[in-house]
Amino acid sequence: MRTVLREPAYAPPPETFIQGLGRGALDLLFEIGQATLLMAAGIAAMRYLVVRRSRDSAVRQLYITGVKSLPVVTVVAGFTGMILALQTGLELRKFSQEVNIGTAVMVSMLREMGPFMTGLILAASVGSSMGAQIGTMTISEEIAALEVMSIDPVRFLVMPRLVALAIMTPLLSFYSTVMGVLGGGLVGATQLGVSWTAYLDNATKYADNKDLYVGMLKALCFGLIIATIACHQGFATTKGAVGVGNATRMTVIVSFLVILIVGYFITRLFYV
Amino acid sequence: MIRFEKVTKSFGPQRVLDRVDVEINKGETFVIVGSSGMGKSVTLKHMIRLLTPDEGRIFVENDCISEANERDMVRIRDRFGVLFQNAALLAWLSVFENVALPLRERTAMTEEEIEVRVAECLDLVGLSAAGPKYPDEISGGMRKRAGLARAIVMKPEIILYDEPTSGLDPVISRSIDRLIDDMRVKLGVTSVVVTHDLHSALGIATRIAMIAGGHFVEISPPADFIRSSHPEVQEFLEAQYITRRGSWES
Repeated sequence: MRTVLREPAYAPPPETFIQGLGRGALDLLFEIGQATLLMAAGIAAMRYLVVRRSRDSAVRQLYITGVKSLPVVTVVAGFTGMILALQTGLELRKFSQEVNIGTAVMVSMLREMGPFMTGLILAASVGSSMGAQIGTMTISEEIAALEVMSIDPVRFLVMPRLVALAIMTPLLSFYSTVMGVLGGGLVGATQLGVSWTAYLDNATKYADNKDLYVGMLKALCFGLIIATIACHQGFATTKGAVGVGNATRMTVIVSFLVILIVGYFITRLFYV
Repeated sequence: MIRFEKVTKSFGPQRVLDRVDVEINKGETFVIVGSSGMGKSVTLKHMIRLLTPDEGRIFVENDCISEANERDMVRIRDRFGVLFQNAALLAWLSVFENVALPLRERTAMTEEEIEVRVAECLDLVGLSAAGPKYPDEISGGMRKRAGLARAIVMKPEIILYDEPTSGLDPVISRSIDRLIDDMRVKLGVTSVVVTHDLHSALGIATRIAMIAGGHFVEISPPADFIRSSHPEVQEFLEAQYITRRGSWES
């Protein structure tokens, strides 16, 4: 059983700017290490999915993550596809190439916008709520109670959330791609004079299976990142209600940053 | 049963425990009193290693909990039940499910056996009818009782109580005191209670320990405690209107 609670750490204030910078860098590395270990422990705990109670808990998280996020993903993805189609369509029209908006929307949604937007939406909605919930549990001693009862918080709390986001982020990413493409088609048909048949032909003609796989891989990584950061921030919460607010805020900020950085490196790995 | 050997704990520049030596005997109700911030809860948290000492060692019988590995920790912690200050019930589980949680997660008991055991515990704390309710649907006193039911459900040898009567009215506080006493009498457990409610301490303790300045300045049975000449103890007694004769001042 992995202990997730930390004893309060105290350090004298840094005497120089360089000392402060050095300590900041060491603290950052420590937190990255802790979060990575938490993710590894959560993934290792997935073996408990054979137990019905753990499975039920994961299903509950799947519902919270997936079904409750569906309306916002639908609206954001639909309008993103519409904006993409309109912006590229207006430019392409100058060269009578507006029929190619299908490719533009499909490739951008599959490769980048689908996973990226889904990641941001889930970080802001589901991740923040997870960070706040676990943070509240930490300051109200519920996590301490679990540890004292020798109930592993990683298996009990982290693993179901990791499973839910690892499954739901790729699924929602695919769904947001479909919604984006449909939104683009709607703009093409109503604003740019591109028929649905021509639009869909063009969209599927240049889309590659690789775009789909890489997009899904990105979404999977984003899901794991969001769940890990939310739980890590939650467990590190101190200082009451203010601390819960901080944990929530930090979950969103750190998730956004890490999603951007990891997204760039995955793109570079597969397309450069 | 529980032994502190020269335990020191600091938070930054503040030394909360300073080479503390204390031994808690089997079957007794050991009450730790003291002003806020003096290290009562810190002492309690060391017993279950929610905190580890900077120096010194803590033994639970022959097991050194402060240096135990993860596997031994599970075995040692199984000897404890803990009632946290705000009961620490999980908000999304009903009272019944909260009490059943350690049995479901840690034992191979069937659902029928769990129902019987949980009903026994809820009955013992007078919450038979509150099983289906959620923590936010019951009063503070009932939450403490539910927390106590969860603490005893695994039949621990030692129960730790962190401020069991804080935030409760005097009538409910005395009913919690009676429950703590019942646990000792009916279950034969060793109890360690942290409180700054001296009325409660005098009613339930077999020994009272006063902590101040990082040390236990007085450890004695209630009758001797109120006669203590230690200035810190005297100040604490007077602050709660308790005289050396044990009667209430008007």
